[in-house]
Amino acid sequence: MNLGQLFLSGLAIVFEPSMLLMVLLAVVLGTVFGALPGVSATMAVALGLPFTYTMAPIQSIVFLVAVYCSSITGGSISAILFKIPGVPSSAPTTFDGYPMAQQGKAGKALGVALVTSALGGTFAAIAMFVLSPQLTQAALSFGPSEMFAITFLGLSILTSLDSKNILRTLISGLLGLLLATIGQDPMYGVQRMTFGSKQFLSGIEMIPVLIGVFAITEVLKQTGETKKLNAKDGIGGGKINTEMPTWKEWMSIKWVILRSAVLGTVVGILPGAGATIASFMCYSTETKLSKYPEKFGTGIIDGIAASETANNAATGGAMVPLLSLGIPGGNAAAVMMSALVLKGVQLGPLLLINQPNYLSGTFISMIVTNIVMVFVAIMIAKMFAQILAIPYSFLGPIIVMLAIIGSYATNMSVFDVKIMAFAGIAGLLFSALKFNSAVLILGLVLGKICEGNFSRAFTINRGNLFSMFNKPIAGSIMVVCIAALVYPLVSPYLKKMMKRSNKANK
Amino acid sequence: MFELILNVALLLFFVYTLAFHVLEAPVPAKVQRNPYALQPGVWPTVLLVLLIFLITLNIIKLIRQNKGKEGFNLSAFLSSIPVFLKSKIFIGILIVVVASFLLEPLGFMVTSFLLLFAYGLLLGEKKYIRLFIVCLLVTIVLYICFGVLLQVNLPRGTVPFLRNFALFLVQLVS
Repeated sequence: MNLGQLFLSGLAIVFEPSMLLMVLLAVVLGTVFGALPGVSATMAVALGLPFTYTMAPIQSIVFLVAVYCSSITGGSISAILFKIPGVPSSAPTTFDGYPMAQQGKAGKALGVALVTSALGGTFAAIAMFVLSPQLTQAALSFGPSEMFAITFLGLSILTSLDSKNILRTLISGLLGLLLATIGQDPMYGVQRMTFGSKQFLSGIEMIPVLIGVFAITEVLKQTGETKKLNAKDGIGGGKINTEMPTWKEWMSIKWVILRSAVLGTVVGILPGAGATIASFMCYSTETKLSKYPEKFGTGIIDGIAASETANNAATGGAMVPLLSLGIPGGNAAAVMMSALVLKGVQLGPLLLINQPNYLSGTFISMIVTNIVMVFVAIMIAKMFAQILAIPYSFLGPIIVMLAIIGSYATNMSVFDVKIMAFAGIAGLLFSALKFNSAVLILGLVLGKICEGNFSRAFTINRGNLFSMFNKPIAGSIMVVCIAALVYPLVSPYLKKMMKRSNKANK
Repeated sequence: MFELILNVALLLFFVYTLAFHVLEAPVPAKVQRNPYALQPGVWPTVLLVLLIFLITLNIIKLIRQNKGKEGFNLSAFLSSIPVFLKSKIFIGILIVVVASFLLEPLGFMVTSFLLLFAYGLLLGEKKYIRLFIVCLLVTIVLYICFGVLLQVNLPRGTVPFLRNFALFLVQLVS
């Protein structure tokens, strides 16, 4: 199927009245979740899961993608009005969004945030549509060595990104990989680490763990530090009119938008990196490239455009490795992957060969979502005072109940609800230990793929580790992995050496 | 101190797992005879050994960083336990865990109402009648949304009179 045919099939999938209505519902749900402080984009996707249990796989992915994209955008509303990022990736939006709101330009700040979000998301969707088939073609020639190397790359990059906490991050990743070994080994079905429990024989169910870590942990954290957020705390008592910047203002930030869209998409594609890293990276890049860097942080539209274009571009980027390699680009993609695997969808190179409608449906739904999102977000921003009037004493317990339903409905199993509760507590302990939950989850999701491919590569290469990675692609990726893991360890020494040599030269 | 104790607990757990639970069933003879097969215990063993090594390093780092600091002793930790047991986080944990165990015997409707009400109180809601009404409405809306519209077979309880009560409520709502 060529790109034109894919495009038409996507239109046929999404432009059905029921599908469009579902996208609209998902956008409303995602924007509200994203706008609420304390509900991250991943949590929004996890809370969206129970709605998908009776849907067909293609409808599920369209629904979850719409929730994901719109929750990232929704996060900018509270970031601009309250200086509280609704989702972590909106944190850089507060740097310029809130000062603009204080100057009485909240409407303009919101207008820029919403439109640039849509532009970033649309750019990334097009990139995904063009790149995924190419990557799939390349991935079809990949063997287990290459697939292991790519999976390992995701974990290595994520580990190296938290360079100040490398030891704890490594422990988190390894613990995730270890949890994935519970049950039966992927090659021979030998029972491992079940601690005598029959319920662990089929392994740890991922969705309850994801919901526990992303939803229950957050609610428990908020329980300890409840601050009643009131619309009056924000700018204009939460009553907002969105106004668009002038044509001249748009033209002044056109390169900011383009650069951030490209960089955000690339960061999103990298396994492990996600919207938060993309938005911070683009904000700092624009600060460096700007002709007026001193104005960043004082309330200029460039800062908002950089952050919001990038975080939405990363959502499309994250779908590329998920659809073409079966490897999630981030936590939200990991949740989507768990939901689709549960429905029997085999993500990876063969998906686009056997069921190309997944790519076309996701692509068109992302475009539609990004357009619908602007109008929904404007309406939600106007009603924001009412939304924020919902006290956390109601919202928190409702999140817990949605989490319980989401975990239970996976297999209609009460045991999964218990797993979710303990995963929530484990997430809290993890946070107390300053471990990295995101890396743990990625380890858990990638664990079986990692071990399965390693085991197959080991057997194919007759137990010779050198021969496993003595191939151009696998070898190059493993070199990058090792560099990513070693760099944070050696960088302090390198910096010291640089300082010494500089002093000696002086 | 809490961090150190948790790290030590993790270390002991990993050592125990490595010693007794890596493999819990015999490896098939065919796999054992294949010199090129990655034995089922190798991957978890490597992970556990790495984890034991890294956790040990983390423990050493924690001791070095906190040595001599005020509050970094066992008595300070023990004295903080009663404070934690009275904290909102601990009560929140209890509510979630108890709800996960009550779901089967009490069923969805009763558990949902009790959890929403108890957690609402914990989060400082003082208008009890409003809370009662909201909990009731949210339970009904959640049931209609998931149990009726999305056809999720939500648990109805196993305790006879509570099951009958749940069925009565379900009939009423449906």
